[in-house]
Order: sequence, then C-alpha cells, then structure tokens
Amino acid sequence: MDHFLPKRFFNCLARSTSTVLLSLSLFLPQLSNAAVPQKHEDFPQGVSAINPGSELWREVRRRDGSGEFNEVNQGLLVNELLHEIRKGQQMPQGTSQVDQVDGGVLINAQGKRWALFRMTTLADYSAIAIAVIFVIITLFFVIRGKVPIEGGLSGNVVKRFSDYERVVHWTLAIVFLFLAISGLILLLGRPLLIPLFGKDLFALLASASKEGHNLFGPLFLVSLIMMLISFGRRNIYEKGDLTWLLKGGGLIGKGHVSGGFFNMGEKTWYWMVILIGLVISISGLVLVSPNFGQSRLIMEFTHIVHVVSGMILIVVSIGHMYLGSIGSEGALEGMKSGYVDIKWADAHHDRWGKHCHEQDLIVSAEEYARLQGQTGNISEPATEQGK
Amino acid sequence: MASMKFYCDAERCIECNACVTACKNEHDIPWGVNRRRVVTIKDGEQGERSLSVACMHCADAPCAAVCPVDCFYTTGDGIVLHDKDICIGCGYCFYACPFGAPQFPESSAFSSRGKMDKCTFCAGGPEEDHTSEEYKKYGRNRVSEGKLPLCAEMCATKALLAGDADVLSDIYRKRVINRGASAFEWGVNQLKG
Repeated sequence: MDHFLPKRFFNCLARSTSTVLLSLSLFLPQLSNAAVPQKHEDFPQGVSAINPGSELWREVRRRDGSGEFNEVNQGLLVNELLHEIRKGQQMPQGTSQVDQVDGGVLINAQGKRWALFRMTTLADYSAIAIAVIFVIITLFFVIRGKVPIEGGLSGNVVKRFSDYERVVHWTLAIVFLFLAISGLILLLGRPLLIPLFGKDLFALLASASKEGHNLFGPLFLVSLIMMLISFGRRNIYEKGDLTWLLKGGGLIGKGHVSGGFFNMGEKTWYWMVILIGLVISISGLVLVSPNFGQSRLIMEFTHIVHVVSGMILIVVSIGHMYLGSIGSEGALEGMKSGYVDIKWADAHHDRWGKHCHEQDLIVSAEEYARLQGQTGNISEPATEQGK
Repeated sequence: MASMKFYCDAERCIECNACVTACKNEHDIPWGVNRRRVVTIKDGEQGERSLSVACMHCADAPCAAVCPVDCFYTTGDGIVLHDKDICIGCGYCFYACPFGAPQFPESSAFSSRGKMDKCTFCAGGPEEDHTSEEYKKYGRNRVSEGKLPLCAEMCATKALLAGDADVLSDIYRKRVINRGASAFEWGVNQLKG
C-alpha cells in the first residue's frame, strides 16, 4: 500500500503531461503562427498537394491558374506568342534526357493556334490582298490607261541610272521575284496547286521552292544592302515632297506634280523596300537557321512577322511593277538602257529635268543612237580579237 | 473501327527511358532522332512526375493541318502517318505539334533538316508492308503483324499503354478506382487505430 500512492501519482502526472504535450503540439504551431507577424506574402502554407495529377497537369500546360492565359488567349496570336516567350523564360520547364529543341516542354499550347492562323487567316488574306491589288491595277489601267507624256517623246535622252545601279536594281528585283513566287507557292500551294498537279508533282515543286527560298534568301539581304548604298542618299526626303503627297502624286489628280530625281512616292517605296526588306531578311535568317535551336514559340512568332511583312512588300511591288512598265510611258527605259527621254524627265521629275537642262546633260537622239550602235560595234571587234 | 492511342500513367512512369531505347532499337533510328522521349516535371522536387511522350496520333492533328504539301494521312485505326516521299522538311509540323513529336535527322544552316521522322505507332508508312523500303524509311511495321508498339509492350511498370482508346480508358479507369479505394481503405484503417 506504501507504493500505491506514488504509483497513482506518477500515473496521473504522466497522463497530465501527455495531455499538456498533446495540446502544446496541437496549439503551439498556431500560437507561434499567431505570435510571428506574417511579414511575407509567401509564408509557407503547408503542403497542399492533394492531387498530384492536377498539379502535374497545371505544370504540363504551364498555366498558373490566375486566368491570365485565358485573357491573353482572346488577343492577337502575335501578342500571345510574345507573352508566352517571355513567360517561358521565367517559368521552369521540365527536363528530358533527350536533347532536342523544347525537349523539356510537354505541351506546346500555341502550336495549333499558329497552325490554324497560318492555314486560314494568313493564307486567305494573302490571296485576297494579291487579288485585290490586281483588280485595282486592272481598273486603273482601264480608267487611266498608260499615262502619256504631253506632246509625246522627243527622242532626246538624258542618263538616269548607271550600269552599276541598274545591276543592283535588277539583282534585287530578280531575287525578290524568285523569293516571292517560291514563298507564295509554299503558302498557297496546298489549297491552289495540289488540286491541279496532284501531291507528288507539287511536292517536287514545293521542295524546289523551299530549298531555293532558303538558299537565295540571304542573297536578298546582300542586294538590299547594295541597294541601300547605291540609292540611299538620293532617297532622303526633302522640301517639296509633302506637296507631292498632298497633290496625290499625279496619279489621282490631273497633270504631273513637281518632283526631284526621285519623287515622294518613289522615295516612300524605296524606304519600304529597305525597312520591310530588313525585317524580312532578319526574320528569314532566324527561320533559316534552326541549327541554333530557337524555341518553337520564337519560330512561330518569326514566321508570322516574315509572312506578313513579305506580303506587304509583294503587294506594293506589284503596284511598282505596274507603274514602272505599262502604267507610265517612258518609265521602263530608265531601268532598261539607263537613259530616259528628256520629256519624261521634265514631266515626272521637273526639278531634275531643269537641272539636266542647266548642266547641258541632254544627249541628242542621233548621239544616243550612235552610242547605242557604238557599244555594239565595239563589242564585235572585241570578240574578234578574243578569237 | 478502332482508335489507336497511347496513354502514359504519370503515377507509374519511373523515367527509365526504356521506351526511348526500345523504339530506337526496333526501328533502327539514326542519332539525333528520338521518336519518343520522357519528360520529367519538377525534377527533384515534391510532386515530381514523368511522362513518356511521342506522337499521340491526334484525331484532329495540327501537323496534318499545317503541312504545306499535305503529306499526312490517318489510317483506319486512327494512326497518323506521313509520306516521306512528299515531305519537304520545312519543320512546320514541329512548330504546330503540341507534343514536339516530329523529328528531323539534320539541323544545319539553310534550314536543311531532311525528311521528317516521327512515331508511326509501329505501323510503318505508305509503302507496302514488310518491304525493306518501308523499314528503311519508317521502321518496323508491328501493327500489320498484330502486335502493339514496342515501347508500350515492354514498359516495365506498365505506365505506357498503347492500343484501342476504349480499352485503354477502361484500364486507366480501373487503376484510378483502385487507387481511390486503397486511399479510402488507408483512411479507414487509420480511424480504426
């Protein structure tokens, strides 16, 4: 009986201690939580991985659940791609033993939208834009006809472009035409050409277009830089260009508008070629070198930039080709032979024409014929000597 | 008509990469081309999961939609295949694919990628079955032999399943129910003490 009391006492003590410990262990974390002020927003909230599957899926889709994705999803695809590129740089991706571009990305969420955009919106609007520009040109030709020089051509000419300048122009023109046609074959070939040729034959054409487009693309940048060097200075905007614009460039209004060596319209076209051409070239270089491992998002974004800027240049270039050939009398001569009729110069570029008159740069019709003939005469003995 | 699908169970995949190796071996795939890959999410963190990914043979395949030469076709079994004779190697299918499945044997300047290569669900290509031509271009044709894709056949944990979509979803449903039941059982045992 002696030791009964202490045993009960110890039992009681042990029980109460365990109760205290239990309550402490239950409430202490909360007490400590309450005691420590929450300085940080990202205070550890404990483990909330109830369903690892849904967590995985969130990671897979790289969506943060804030609804941000859906908001952006409503906007332009280009904006969305830019947003995703930026987000992709911040967010950790998965990993893979397979070393490939975007190997760690499970779902390429934008791919399908890009594919649809390319096959519907981009292709449709490109085809429509080309059709529209041809309709406009046809209407213009029917209404205005070939814009004539008042009083006809005189036969007396003046040198407008050097051989080097013409080579630069035609190099750029031929490379551009080739790239435009091969690009359009790749963009519009599936709906327009496969029904005509069948898949096998079209595959041959498309393959040639693709390889040619990739190989000659960098040449476009080279000829563009040559264009910038040889024609750049004369295309800087100057006084009088604004009045040309206000008078509608002589195309819409009646009669010719005052212009220098290049008029406002030509200058604008020139800078369009240079600036949009640079955008096309740089985006093209990104697209043509997948060996540097750009992500798919960058490629999709660059592809859209490349096609849209290319289409702008194609459409405006059709207008340029029209005005330079059948749209305006005497215009093509300048790029063909390098000489233009003095009447043409007076009509279209009166300030430059005046300058030619003053500097006495005019070559008479007889002299011009002799020059043309002489170049032929010179070349013939040269070949004989070569023999 | 059957609709062939892959399914990878993230609760079972242990990232052993055996499916990748088996695929490369079965089809004699060159270096740099991986028709299948295993992606690990949250590697080394809590909630780490791995998934084996290849062409998922979409019903509405973005690669087929975007191909400029229209070289993709879907077989009666719902397998998405492509014709390497028509493919021009432009790479658009890779940009469009949600899973990064299309592969290219080369990646040099001037966009020389070579003909696209991707998982065929071990069903070969448009060439006649079991010809050397078919094997060279598309790998072995196991489906015509009545076999399923090797990656799934030899998966050690049976994480990767291949076959008819209905059968696969049945198997997966049973797994989910079983997992749910065992979690419930575990909870009851805890309560019982």
